[in-house]
Amino acid sequence: MSLLELEDVHTYYGESHVLQGVTLEVESEEIVALIGRNGVGKTTTLRSILQLTPPRRGTVRFRGEDVTGRSTHEVAGMGVGWVPEERRMFGYLTVEENLRVSVPPDADFEARRAYVYDLFPDLERFRDKEARNLSGGQQQMLALSRGMVGDNDLLLVDEPSEGLAPMIVEQVVEALREASAETTMVLVEQNFPLAMDLADRFYLLDHGVVVESGSTEGVSADDERIRRYLSA
Amino acid sequence: MIGGTVGGTTEVLVAVAALADLPLLADALGRFFQPRTFARIVVEGLGKAAVYFILAVGLTLVFGLMGVLNFAHGAMAMLGAYLGGVLMVLALSGGAGPFTTIAFFFVVAAVVFALLTAVGGAIEVGLVRPIYDRTPMYQILLTFGVALILEELTRIVATLHGVQPEPQWRAPMGTIPSALAARYDILGANIRGLYLFEIVLGLLVATAVWLFLTRTLYGLYIRAGSEDPEMVEALGIDVRKAFTVVFGLGTGLAGLGGVLLMWDPLWGPSVLLNIDVLLYAFVIVIIGGLGSFKGTLVAAVVVGVADSFTTWLFTTGIVPNPGLPAVTIFLLLVLVLVVRPQGIFGVEEVGGH
Repeated sequence: MSLLELEDVHTYYGESHVLQGVTLEVESEEIVALIGRNGVGKTTTLRSILQLTPPRRGTVRFRGEDVTGRSTHEVAGMGVGWVPEERRMFGYLTVEENLRVSVPPDADFEARRAYVYDLFPDLERFRDKEARNLSGGQQQMLALSRGMVGDNDLLLVDEPSEGLAPMIVEQVVEALREASAETTMVLVEQNFPLAMDLADRFYLLDHGVVVESGSTEGVSADDERIRRYLSA
Repeated sequence: MIGGTVGGTTEVLVAVAALADLPLLADALGRFFQPRTFARIVVEGLGKAAVYFILAVGLTLVFGLMGVLNFAHGAMAMLGAYLGGVLMVLALSGGAGPFTTIAFFFVVAAVVFALLTAVGGAIEVGLVRPIYDRTPMYQILLTFGVALILEELTRIVATLHGVQPEPQWRAPMGTIPSALAARYDILGANIRGLYLFEIVLGLLVATAVWLFLTRTLYGLYIRAGSEDPEMVEALGIDVRKAFTVVFGLGTGLAGLGGVLLMWDPLWGPSVLLNIDVLLYAFVIVIIGGLGSFKGTLVAAVVVGVADSFTTWLFTTGIVPNPGLPAVTIFLLLVLVLVVRPQGIFGVEEVGGH
């Protein structure tokens, strides 16, 4: 049984038919990259998994359980974490409060906080600072940490390197590797080499369907089957 | 229209005459700089501020978290005033000492708060929840409809019991303990005890709400939800439940404010409270910044003190127009909307709404 299965998922924004039958599987402990041009439905796939934009047709199964149409907090409570595009910090809460919201009430907050502070010393330094006053890189670290301190078996990570300086990207990649030791990951990433480097397998989306998939081993952007879909 | 113009002209003439009455003006100015005038304006202003704060804070919490403008907020204060009045009159018909009366006031306040919190929760679940996905106009029409229905029902029930629904039902004011009806000397000013009581209650409510928001996990969820409810939901927290809790608490706070109005000679139980409270509560949350707790507190103090200052200007005869306090408060509103439309502590966009 796969950890996550999407079967013929169709998702709409109003009248716009964004996902037109996405089928994919994610096994425990792997990192799966979703790649493709802008607007092909990568983010929508993540939103459909979390039921933030519930599919109109098809099924999403997590640990074999059909979660289609459930409420988002239930799916999240089953162990699906989200590191959204543009970070979505609670800007008027402090770093520490952002983490507190993300740790389940019955979990050991001190221990989880120590775990991410160890990983990102900057966050500890700015623990009492409001998140909106952090730099872009620090915010991304906080967004990742928020996903890492929850009871998550699956982390949906959307564009973690977007808009960050190369040095910061390296730090984020390190953190993603660290996180992947603990959880399975679905990674949406525009930076193709980075995605191939981090992920074990990939799904290539185009116009709301999966057009290619397989192991990332030896795959380069020059591959004809990839280039056709990635170049504008 | 003609009558209005003539009346207006007369008022202007009176005002000019008063201003021309320099000895009076000099006298008034002299009095303004006396400590007792200052004490009176500040203490009465803070008393009014406390009432305004309690009446407005629920409205701002609900808007901050849910983006819903609750036009039934004033109606809830109206219900609170009547419920509080009925309970006090029934319980104290045999007369009671000041301590028993004040103790009973707190019991009644707690009962009304609990009752209206439940009513608010039920309204959220039954009426507001189905229309979250629609435009704000639906929420405004729905809650305003609820307000009108409650006002008319109250009018009917009051009339059936032989109580004038307006301007005020005065019986509850008779239950005020002598200690609060009495006047106290503060720096030479004679100040009604009720104002001091209102200040104490306002501080209690502000502290309780602040502690709830900043010191409890649930308060943290609410603050996070005010910024980004979808993100909170994606962290495994049931935001809808928080919506119910906050709408309930907001309604309960309006009811609590209503209970306090029951003793206030300027207000008192009346169906007019529906619109009057709604207006004041909106003015305060808009001046403070929609959704901001701190803003509501500061705006309540600004409006309360402006109100008491202009009331003083009127009662001393410097500006002989009883509408002055209301005009000043709405001028403040206009000023804020022109200079800083998001309010004193407001952010440009609240919670993505």
